[in-house]
Order: sequence, then structure tokens, then C-alpha cells
Amino acid sequence: MDVTFRIRRYNPDIPGKNKPYWQEFRLADVDPNDRVLELLHRIKWEQDGTLTLRRSCAHGVCGSDAMRINGVNKLACKVLMRDINGSKVQVEPILGLPVIKDLVVDMEPFFGHYREVMPFFVNDEPVPANGRERLQSPDDRAQYDDTTKCILCAACTTSCPSFWANGKYVGPAAIVQAHRFIFDTRDRAAKERLNVLAEPNGVWRCRTIFNCTPACPRGIEVTRAIGEVKLAIQRGTTTGIVDISTIHIKEPT
Amino acid sequence: MTSLVLTLTETLRYRGAVGQWSWVLHRVTGLGVVLFIILHIIDTSWAVFYPDLYVKAIAAYQSPLFTIGEFALVACVVYHAYNGLRIILFDARPLWWRFQQRAAMVVLAATALTLIPVFILMFNHVLKHYSDTPLVLPLGVVLLEQVPFGIGMVLALVAGLALSGLYGAVSGGKEAAPQSSRAERFWWSFMRLSGILIIPLVFGHLAGMHVVQGVFDIQGSHVLERGIAAGLEGGLPAVGANIAQVGVNSSGTAVEFVGDRWNTLVAGVAIWRLYDAGLLALVVVHGFNGLRYVLTDYTMSSPLLRRGMIFTCVIGATILLVLGSGMLVRTIDSTAIEMARNSLCRLYEENHTEVPEVLQCAAETGQ
Repeated sequence: MDVTFRIRRYNPDIPGKNKPYWQEFRLADVDPNDRVLELLHRIKWEQDGTLTLRRSCAHGVCGSDAMRINGVNKLACKVLMRDINGSKVQVEPILGLPVIKDLVVDMEPFFGHYREVMPFFVNDEPVPANGRERLQSPDDRAQYDDTTKCILCAACTTSCPSFWANGKYVGPAAIVQAHRFIFDTRDRAAKERLNVLAEPNGVWRCRTIFNCTPACPRGIEVTRAIGEVKLAIQRGTTTGIVDISTIHIKEPT
Repeated sequence: MTSLVLTLTETLRYRGAVGQWSWVLHRVTGLGVVLFIILHIIDTSWAVFYPDLYVKAIAAYQSPLFTIGEFALVACVVYHAYNGLRIILFDARPLWWRFQQRAAMVVLAATALTLIPVFILMFNHVLKHYSDTPLVLPLGVVLLEQVPFGIGMVLALVAGLALSGLYGAVSGGKEAAPQSSRAERFWWSFMRLSGILIIPLVFGHLAGMHVVQGVFDIQGSHVLERGIAAGLEGGLPAVGANIAQVGVNSSGTAVEFVGDRWNTLVAGVAIWRLYDAGLLALVVVHGFNGLRYVLTDYTMSSPLLRRGMIFTCVIGATILLVLGSGMLVRTIDSTAIEMARNSLCRLYEENHTEVPEVLQCAAETGQ
């Protein structure tokens, strides 16, 4: 089938033409099983070598190729043509981060928010007697299972109208990453993280719009995670908030 | 400002699910209600402070423009209330997020279902009102009366920004220390708790003043409030008797209605004053904090603007709370009712409308 791509272009290096504009590309012989990323490659390789995009693994793991495809944030490597209604594909950069060129945005503000929530394991207690791992029950592990899946692609954060309006809002992804440690019973810095997220530009900027949850290419229940962090701040505790009855972790054998 | 424009255009462009539209509607309906309560509290305070202005305000409320506005107001309140419950539910139970889309549709359906009988009742009042030859203020006059409110809101905005500039100059241009996290935490809880408390109060208020009994009945006998008061005091049989005895607006003015309503006592307690005081405090604080959320969401890039928006909201809420509590502790005497009667007579005369007999102003208009 034939497909028309409408791509948001921007090149700051061309004098006089450094404003964003739309450009159309036509592709023939497109297979319904082709992924949007492959088709963007075809445009770049066959029609216009200046088309700039970011991708790395191309298999939905590295999180480099988040873009707004037909109005919704997706990973270009995870959208097949058959998932798209019709033969028109509109591609533009994710919103809320400065565009560097074409579909490539500056991720630094996003990673800045990520660093704010201390996304690393904190525990200064002595190592266990056997000198090996800090053990945890499957139920404790289940509490933050969902939020370990984040690949930092920024699809959720840049789908959020609160983030579009205010780039200082830490955004859904940083809260998901904080959730992963806040509800880890082995971690000892939940309080510090909750203090960061209780700031005016923390979780309270979330207006439960629910754009982030369907935007997540990993299926993380983002708005739920944000809601659980809000409850943890309200109640001043991290226990008894995450309901693990819907999460199934295999018992170790 | 750019952030507001960007959010507006991109929200229209982003293909978010129904939750995104619920959020848009929640903001729009909230802003609509805040706009109305600004007019409404100031107007109502005139019943105490400037009876002749109150008469004009009520005449404006009975004009077609405000009738359309009243329908929109009721729709806004109902949607905002139901969607607020949805928000509160998913805040309390994040686990249930899977049902949020369905819940958003349920909110829309419940709003529609509620509004059908409500609009029928309200429309009946409209039909009844226009079946006589009512006093209808021309649109131009009605709009002109609202101009001072527009000026007042602009002044509040200017004052807020000026205060913000002053604050910035005094604090040496440093960015104000971030509001303590406790404050935002408090407001988050307050919005949810006050929302739950407001719903029965505001639904009762709407039923009594806009739906079962409407603004068109305000110059007639005030059956409902007296009836409820009598019912509370003496049980159902007392209702009928009480209405027959005291449920009459003898001057036929809205000012008397307001005075009588506030003076209705149940076991020595002015129940409607208490009711209105509770509604006033909760709605003003809830509404203006909501307004602060909306205004500061789009002004975070400029400390001057952001502070200015906060000051504006504080100024607005303070004015309404002072006016509102001021009117609720005062009584309306016969002089005020007389002033209102004269003013209403003049209004009928100016608009060449047949004067209802109850007003008894034939002697003056006959001149």
C-alpha cells in the first residue's frame, strides 16, 4: 500500500528557514507489518538524508524514539502500519522539551527531573550477615514491580498538559522512577524523595488527566503510580498503600 | 501567556482519551461557576447595602441573557460536582484507574440525566414568567450593569500584579521561597474535602433558588424556605399552615424575600443564614483556590506573574468573604424594603411595563 507521511521539520542551521514546518513524503510498497520507525528510515535513506531522528535499539527497549504519531505519543519502533487507521501518518517531536532538529528533542530537562527524585538505591545499613543480597518477600517486591519497567522514553511526561504548561513540573516519568524506590522496602530514602515530590512542582501538579497512562509504551500504570505517591505523602507512610492483589510475582522455586 | 496558548492549542491537537476532555470540562465549568459567584455574592450583598441596586440586579437576572446563563450555570455546577467526585474517587483508590474512562462517561451520562428534569422544571418557570407581561430589561441595559464587574475584575488583577511587583522589589527581586510543601498538601486535601461538603449545600441551594423555586418567583410568596423551616420545626402538618400564614412577600420585592429568608428561625436559629454562611465560605475558598490552580499553572515561567495571580485570587476571595459575611450578619429593615419598592416601581415605569398590583405603586406612577 501507499502511505503519506506528514513530518514536522525544523533545522536551526538554515538561515531564514529556521522555523518549524510540515513536509510530506510519499512511500510506495508499504507492508502493513512495517513499523513507523522503518518507514522513517526509508524516507531518510531513500528520499531526504537530512531527516533527523533518534533511535537506538529499535525494539522498544532503549526508549530513544518516542514521538507524537498521529496525535499520540508512541515509540516509532512499536507502531505497525496496520495499527494505524488509514494511510496517513503524521509525525512530530514530543512536546514540552526543546526541539534540537526535526524529531530530536533535548532530553536534558527531562533527565534533570529524573535526577531530582534520587533514582538510585539508598541503604547505608551494614550488609546482611551472609555478605550477600538484602532479601525481600515476593509481596514486598510486587509493590513496585510495575514501575521497574520504565525506559525513560519521556512519552508519558510529554503527553501531560501540566508539563506542557510548566516545564518545572517533575512530570510522570520522574514520579514513576521515584515510586520504584519509595515503595522498595529495602530502600531508606523514601522520605527524601517524598519531600521532593511534595514541592509545588511535584505530584500536586498532576491533575489526573490520564494522558500519561495510555502513552506509556511499557504499559506502566502511570497515573496509578502518581496516585500512590500522593497517598504516601498524605498519609506520611509507604506501607499499606499499594494494593498488590492485582500483581502476580512468581514464588521463587 | 505563551504557555496557556500552547496548552490550549496542543490539548486540541493531542489525541488524548476522554480523561483529557474531563479535565478541560472541569476547568471550564469551574471557571464558569467562579465567574457567576463573583457577580452573585456582590449582587446579593446589595440587598443589604444598596437595596435599589439589588432590585436592578434581580431584574437583570430575570432577563433572557441571565436565563440562558442560569441554565449554563446549573449545568456547570452539576458537571463539576459529578466529575469532582470522580477525581476524588480515583485519588483515594489509584488501583481503580482502569475504570476512569468508564467513570468519565458515567459522569457525562449522570450530568445529562440530572439536567433533563432540572431543565424541564427551570423551563417551566421561564414559560410561566413570560405568559404574563413581565418586566424585561433590554440587553444593552443588562450588559451595561455588568460593566462594573468587568472593571472590578481587571482592577483586582492590576492590584495583584502591582502587589507582586512591590513584593519583588522589597524582596530584592529574588524568587520567593517555594511555598512550603505543607501548604500544597493542605490545599490538595481541602479541595477534596470542601468539594464533598459543597455538593449537598450547593445542590440544595440550586434546588431552592433556581430549580424548584426560581429567580422568577423571588417577588412572589416564598413558599419553599418557609415550608422547609416549618417542616423542621413542627413536622409535615405544620408546613401547609405555616406557608398560608407567613409565606407571603407583602411588598413584592426581592429585598423582602432575602430579608424574610434570612430571618426565618427554626428553634431560634436563623437556619438560612447559617446555610448561606457555610456555602459562602466553602465555595469562595474552593473556587478561588481552583482559580489559583488554573492561573498559576500557566504563569510558572514568570515569578512576577505567578505571584500576581496568587495575590489576585487572595484579593478576590477576601472581597467576597468580607461582603458575604457582612451581609449575613445584617438585617433588612422596612426602610430598605421601601427603597426597593420605589426602585422597582421606577424600573417598571422606565420600561413601560404593567405594574403588578402587589407593588402598590400606582399613586406614584400615576403622576
